[in-house]
Amino acid sequence: MKSWLSQQVLTHPKRLIIVNVLFTILFAYGLKWLVIDDNFMNMLPKDIESRRVWEEVEAEFGASEMMFIAFGHSGKSIYHQESFKSVWDLTELIENSPYVDEVISISTMNRMDSEDGFMEIDDLQPNRNLSTEAIQDIKIYLDNNPDMKARVIGKSGDFMSMVVRPKDGNEVVLFTNSVLAITDSLLTDYEVHYAGNSYITGVVPEIVQNDVSKLMGIGIIIMVIMLLANLRNVSAVAMVMLIIIMSMVSMLGSMGWIFYLTGIEYFHFSMMNTSMPIILLTIANSDSVHFITRFFREVRKKKDVNEAVTKSLNALFLPIFLTSLTTAVAFMTLISSPIKHMMGYGIAIAFGILWAWILSLTILPSLIVLKKWNLNSAALSQSSYLERWIEKLGQKNLMVPKRVLTFGALLVFIVSFGLWKVNVEVNVIKFFKPGNPIRESSEFIDRELTGSMSLLFKTTGDMKDPHVLNDMLLIQKKAESFPQSNTSISIADVIKSMHKVVMDDDPKYETIPETRGKVNNLFTMYSMSGDPDDFNSLVDYNYETGLITSLLNSISTNESVEMVTELESFIEDEVTSDLEIKISGMVVFLRDFVDLVVRSSFISIGLSIIIIFIIAWIFFGSVRWGLLSVIPLVSAIILNFGLMGHFEVHLSHMTALLTSIIIGVGVDFAIHYIAEFRRNSRRGYSIDEVSIKTTEDVGYPILLDVASNMGFAALLFSALIPLNYMGGLMVFAMISTSLGTLTLLATIVEIFKKHLYNK
Amino acid sequence: MKVIKLISISILFQSLFALTGIELAQIVDDRESPIDMKSNMSMFLTNKNGKTRTSSIRSYSKDGNKKQILWFLAPADDKGVAYLKIEHEDKNDDMKLWLPNFKKVRRISSRKKSESFMGSDMSYEDMTSRNMDEYTYSISGEDIINNVDCYILESIPNGIKTEYSKHNSWITKDTHLAVKEESFDKNGELLKSKSIIYQQIKKYHIMKELHVKNVQRNHQTVLKFDNIEVDSGIKDNIFHEKNLKRMPK
Repeated sequence: MKSWLSQQVLTHPKRLIIVNVLFTILFAYGLKWLVIDDNFMNMLPKDIESRRVWEEVEAEFGASEMMFIAFGHSGKSIYHQESFKSVWDLTELIENSPYVDEVISISTMNRMDSEDGFMEIDDLQPNRNLSTEAIQDIKIYLDNNPDMKARVIGKSGDFMSMVVRPKDGNEVVLFTNSVLAITDSLLTDYEVHYAGNSYITGVVPEIVQNDVSKLMGIGIIIMVIMLLANLRNVSAVAMVMLIIIMSMVSMLGSMGWIFYLTGIEYFHFSMMNTSMPIILLTIANSDSVHFITRFFREVRKKKDVNEAVTKSLNALFLPIFLTSLTTAVAFMTLISSPIKHMMGYGIAIAFGILWAWILSLTILPSLIVLKKWNLNSAALSQSSYLERWIEKLGQKNLMVPKRVLTFGALLVFIVSFGLWKVNVEVNVIKFFKPGNPIRESSEFIDRELTGSMSLLFKTTGDMKDPHVLNDMLLIQKKAESFPQSNTSISIADVIKSMHKVVMDDDPKYETIPETRGKVNNLFTMYSMSGDPDDFNSLVDYNYETGLITSLLNSISTNESVEMVTELESFIEDEVTSDLEIKISGMVVFLRDFVDLVVRSSFISIGLSIIIIFIIAWIFFGSVRWGLLSVIPLVSAIILNFGLMGHFEVHLSHMTALLTSIIIGVGVDFAIHYIAEFRRNSRRGYSIDEVSIKTTEDVGYPILLDVASNMGFAALLFSALIPLNYMGGLMVFAMISTSLGTLTLLATIVEIFKKHLYNK
Repeated sequence: MKVIKLISISILFQSLFALTGIELAQIVDDRESPIDMKSNMSMFLTNKNGKTRTSSIRSYSKDGNKKQILWFLAPADDKGVAYLKIEHEDKNDDMKLWLPNFKKVRRISSRKKSESFMGSDMSYEDMTSRNMDEYTYSISGEDIINNVDCYILESIPNGIKTEYSKHNSWITKDTHLAVKEESFDKNGELLKSKSIIYQQIKKYHIMKELHVKNVQRNHQTVLKFDNIEVDSGIKDNIFHEKNLKRMPK
């Protein structure tokens, strides 16, 4: 295989290039079908309880994740004619959008009045143009109905809000864009704030696109600078960049192709996938850097390009194949993740890695063969600074192997205590930095209005039974007792209000009537004069299922776990009627998602290590080498997660991907080291010089790989906090895995060299 | 040449004596209706998820439905509830409801004519007969419904407060009965579709079944009438609050 490839490269370089370019164009064509989507709910497995309940709720009561809009002027009363005209026009325009199911605002709400035994249901805002008296009348009505007021007027009375429900949960981007286009054109004179999961889901794709473009640019610049400084040859750097770009477009195109052919939505490009291009950028770089540096070393010795290419292919064919295979496998383990979007991530990136491997061994040597090299240039005739430095490091390191090993092991041991402090945060709003407009808007809605995070209780029972209705009120009271909770609503609230109205507005009757017959009379009375759709979001058609919706401030994942646990135990202990209650909504998703993220990380780590151990064992033909190949990456995982715990960097579905990345990148260095050690020991180097020679041979490409992979630092510039963390941690991971290889692995090999030499 | 002359005369004759929209509307409006009517009404409501509600109601009405009293017979939950409506030309309609479990009569009102009547797809506006001078009428075409030739009468409101922008009614050419109607919302989108089946009692064509579908809500209502008695001499004092509490024998 190696000799066939060498022959093809030397005799038909142009043909190899054309074939690979054609394949890359074919893969890249899949970009046409690449879908950018970020519906958080879609990341949850369909068989999880909270997702099932959520889907049942949506089927019965309509979309439950809504968009919140608030407008006004800080410090200026919202009760004036212009605001009422604006809310009227805005509601009318938004209602006409084909993506909107319902708008809840002052102009769509009903009021229920009772006067002289006369019950009247009417529009809260009867028309667009209101007199000062009519506005005052609305104000008084809202002041007397604080729960209703909380949904449409800000706490300081200077903002009006509305809630918009999407028609279809799968068209959230179109929904959000359609609503934003209307508000942007109509609310030019107001301070406007938006919140809600629908809104975030709708705007995130654009943020992701912008972020990816920005990060790619920065990553490529860092990489080019590092490569130029060390390779000192523009053509060589251009070749590396070509391989990277070709593998990257192929990877993204593969996502489009797979989605086009299978229709599986896990291959959508979501917020989580933002890191994909930058990761492939660095991994694809690794193969090319190893090949180019090896070629430079060989050409320096042989002074013949073709011979140097053949030697490089012979030396690197197995290690590059193994590193690509193990890295791809590390990402492929994401298939087992309970978060199904990680499956798409893993498969697509594994495809990109394998395509980068093929390109590195075909196009790259072909281009090298075709290029006219100046063999007297500094790049091809002299070692770089980094190359000379690594030789010194290797010699010093291997002089005191036990001391180096003890220091490294001690460091890993101390940092490992941080593992128990790792905290999980999966609330998307917390991913945005303070000061980011999305986070600011959401915090404004939390502070001044009802909050935008939902907690849903699907209640199944006889919705006309007073005992059941009182239990629903009990649950609402408990939900509202949390400091993060702002308001809640259910059919029981409406029954209470109707009871008061029918009893001549006597406040003492603002209760659930004592008999079922009375409750039924109230429903009948409402059906005579109200719109039957008014209760659609509260109770089902046959009064068998109800929905309690509680609105809260955007809370952290820890808070949501505590809240849901407390509510579940309260329901278990306190609800005495035949009411079946299932909890769902964003708060519960967060709780369930924590479990998925943690499980995903553990499964990914465990599987990757076992599979890599087996691959190394098979290819190196020894259990010892198998064990040694996983040492640097296990220590890097402990160091990274330990540091996350110590420095309060949260684990999320985005940072959880770190495990695969660390394993994927980290194992490459170990494999290169082991392959080179075995090669050198068979090439006749003595037992005393083999470690030093190995460090000299692989140390430079490893460190050059790390230096150019500082492109990960580009993640520090992301608009998303987890990506910032990821950037910082990746830089650390690259350093820790490379030094782990050149210190821990190298010193262990040196200590046990008698057992490993010629094995 | 003779044939051409005959055709020309026929076209001229038809255009001279063709029915106009307003004339057709007038004929429909002038159609004789009973002075009073007693019936049993069954109402079947079906929502978008296919869930249904059924009610059975005894109805007395007079003066073209301007006075109406309804007693709920079923479901069991609603048994005993009763509703009285008296329309007035010069003031708001009187609507009263007897709530047997509260032992109270409550006056109810909805200023919004577009509100649904008893949770059905019929709004109060649908239940009220249209004033001739509030609409502009035209015949927009002809069609065949259930093997019966029909005119399509288009009615466009003249600036009145309504939830509709237009109605298309299929009027049978022989009996001048509206057998189908499509009503369009303010954006010109189809909102409701109705079809009506009649039966002849005495000299009147009385509605036997009414099917209404709100295509935007995907909700349907079917009304079926039986035990119909017409011109039985219902006295005015039947339409009184005291009769809400018990149905007269």
